[in-house]
Parts: sequence; C-alpha cells; structure tokens
Amino acid sequence: MRRLLVGAALIGYPAAVAALIGLKHIGLNRWIILAVFLVLVLTAAVLVTVGYIYARGRIEGRCARLDERDLALRQQAYALSHRVLAIILIAATAAITIYLTNGNTLRLDANSFWPALMWVVVYIPALPALMLAWIETDQPADA
Amino acid sequence: MPEEQRRVHNRLAVLRAERGLSRKQVADKLGINYQTVGYIERGDYNPSLELALTIAEFFRLPVEAIFSLRPMAPLSAEVFGEPPAEGR
Repeated sequence: MRRLLVGAALIGYPAAVAALIGLKHIGLNRWIILAVFLVLVLTAAVLVTVGYIYARGRIEGRCARLDERDLALRQQAYALSHRVLAIILIAATAAITIYLTNGNTLRLDANSFWPALMWVVVYIPALPALMLAWIETDQPADA
Repeated sequence: MPEEQRRVHNRLAVLRAERGLSRKQVADKLGINYQTVGYIERGDYNPSLELALTIAEFFRLPVEAIFSLRPMAPLSAEVFGEPPAEGR
C-alpha cells in the first residue's frame, strides 16, 4: 500500500501536466480541464508531503537517535534516489533528442519551462524521503 | 537491506521472551530503536558485527548462540537433545 502511494506521488505531477496538455488538445471545457488538473496536482502534493513527513526525520538526520538500521536505510534511499534521478534524466534527454532529430523544434517558453522547473522544485528535495518510504518494509507488530 | 544479502538467523525473540523483556526495553539497553529489534527478530535486518556483539553481551551468551547463518534448532532440542521420533 505504501509503495502504491509513493508511486502515485511520483507520477502525480507529470500525470497532471500530461492531462492538462492532452485535454487542451481535445478542446474540452477549460473548467473541466482545470478541475482535473487541480485534483491530480493536489493529490500528488498531498502524497509527496505525506511521504516527505514520513521519512523527513531520518533523511535529514533530525531524529533524536538514528541507529545503524536507520543510517543504512538512509544511505540506500539516497543511492536509490540517485539511480531514479539518473534514469529520469537519461530518459528525458533521450526523448528530447529523438524528438529534435526527427525534424521537430522545441521552444523553451513558460509553458514548457515552468512544469519542468516545478518538477525539480517539488521532487528533487522529496525524492530521498519518497525512496526511503518505498524501500522500507512494514514495521513488525510490537510484542 | 540489499536483496542479495544473506539472511542471518537469530534467537533474539526467544531470548527476549524468556527474560520477559519488551522490544522497547531491549532497544533502550542496546541503544537502538525498538523497531530495529523487531526487524532483526523477523530477519529483515542483519545487525552489524558491533551490534551483534552488543546483543550477545547483553544476553550474556556467545554470539553464535544467538546468531547463525543456518536456521537454528529450537533451544530445547539443543539443551535436551533430539526429541524422540514419533511412534516410539
């Protein structure tokens, strides 16, 4: 369940932007487009915030006491977030390269720049916390 | 825990129950979080050598009596020998 929420948090914002662009092309009523976009964006924002709060103490070392398992988990979370980020950057670069080499042009304006910038602002700081939430197994029942 | 990491079996839960200690009490004595005790008991986390030795020292047992690379036989079987075969 936790992994499902982390996955939804990760794809929420790109899905919202994709929905916005896709629905604009269809020519749907702008209020419906706005409603869909806001629902997706707010869901993603809530999930990212929850994921960040869940692991923030351990990721930032704010917990009063991090034991060796916490430190190992933090290291793994950072390593995994680095790997995920590398995959995303390589995929984005490859997609843009293929798009441009097929004779298309890419105009860098507010419409294309802001979504990318927002993604960086929202996801880069939260990625290690989300990855920690992803890799951690459920806590054993207390005894 | 990396996927390839070999599982280390342990008797932590048995020893803790035998002494009537909660995970919190054991964790406080060992200086770790109580969840970590649960993860070790469940085999989801392999403690460092330092922590394994600390645990052994806490229970006043040799480390090999608590941790093993092979599944561990019940303590009763080790103390009293193999249980009689069924039907005998």
